[in-house]
Amino acid sequence: MTKNVKTIKEFKIEFDEKRIGWHIGYKKRSAEIEKSIKKMIKQEKKRLNNLLRPAAIYRILDYEETNKHAVFQNAEKVVLCICSIGSKLEEESARLMKEDEMLRGLVLDALGSEAVEKVAIQSERIIGQEAKKMDLWPSKRFSPGFGKWDIREQQFIFRMLPAQDIGVKLRESFMMVPRKSISFRINLFRDQNMEKKQ
Amino acid sequence: MKESEIYEKMKKAIIEGNKDESERLAKEALEKKMDLLKVIEKGYVQGIQRVGELWEKGEYFLPELIASAECMKGAMNIFEPEIKRAKIKTKFLGKIIIGTVEGDIHDIGKNLVAAMLVANGFEVIDLGADVKLEKFVQKAEEMDADFICLSALLTTTMLGQKRIIEIIKEKSIRDKFKILVGGAPVNQKWADDIGANGYAENAMAAVRVAQALIEKKK
Repeated sequence: MTKNVKTIKEFKIEFDEKRIGWHIGYKKRSAEIEKSIKKMIKQEKKRLNNLLRPAAIYRILDYEETNKHAVFQNAEKVVLCICSIGSKLEEESARLMKEDEMLRGLVLDALGSEAVEKVAIQSERIIGQEAKKMDLWPSKRFSPGFGKWDIREQQFIFRMLPAQDIGVKLRESFMMVPRKSISFRINLFRDQNMEKKQ
Repeated sequence: MKESEIYEKMKKAIIEGNKDESERLAKEALEKKMDLLKVIEKGYVQGIQRVGELWEKGEYFLPELIASAECMKGAMNIFEPEIKRAKIKTKFLGKIIIGTVEGDIHDIGKNLVAAMLVANGFEVIDLGADVKLEKFVQKAEEMDADFICLSALLTTTMLGQKRIIEIIKEKSIRDKFKILVGGAPVNQKWADDIGANGYAENAMAAVRVAQALIEKKK
């Protein structure tokens, strides 16, 4: 189970205010975030050091070690990865909402969504660099539930990775706990053209 | 200051999402022994209605809606003890049971919908997240609810919405409740396919759908 398993705990998480605005409902490009809300975003950002526990765990598998699902076809190797920011932020967001601080709870949740996305992006980058060292070409990252990879394939990822090492569990509904977690695959190809076809 | 001026200030506080001001005015209304039903109707409700209009015009976004709903809730919390003590009969537009269906622990969207429904005059009983399907039905019967609002954020859990409609059909109580569904994977087609009464893609839309269904019922 632990063969070729690696953990990443160092992440640099920075936020783009526009993206946070988008997460909390400013969906129009022209939308200006209201001053008091900008202030709230700033305040909540300051609390993140105590609330974020970013971590990622990944494993590089030979194609033969996979369940040979069609989405792995032609890959030399497959990387499975789970990223998370831990449960503290979502607990705090839920507490705020319970205490009728809905907006603050929403802002914190948005920061969490953006943070876990950053963890996934940086993990993808690290995996990409590792692939290059093996003379392999990485595909983009794909998560279960998108395209031809059914959400039930979460089970395969969790079978192949000791997700509990970074505190992530899979529920019966295939949902991850903490909610601010992302799982994905990256196929590694010998041929650069295959990577483009993905 | 004339009462009408106080109502205007209350309306303004709600529109601007100014919680301190909205609560200060609520306390002032209590001190002046103003008619609370009038205060709510002519001040605060007018404000929240305007907020809904601004949202529909695209001038307000979700955070402004929530800020106003929080102001409304803050003021109502101040009135609540007096409303209970004086046995004032507040009018609700309808009674709503809301929750995220079994297997699904997402609850932020549901919380926002609940807050907007409360702010717009509905009585809301929030069962939380990961709620057993039978519990929705049991609670709706027990509370004599008008609506059951079901949230689901996963393709795997949205099936629970369908199952609840089946359960109330099996119990021959389908007509007793209006079923509203929502959540990221849910759409109008899904709502139609499972026989729900309405679908809302966001918190304000949920208010409008519920208002329209109540109006139809009259």
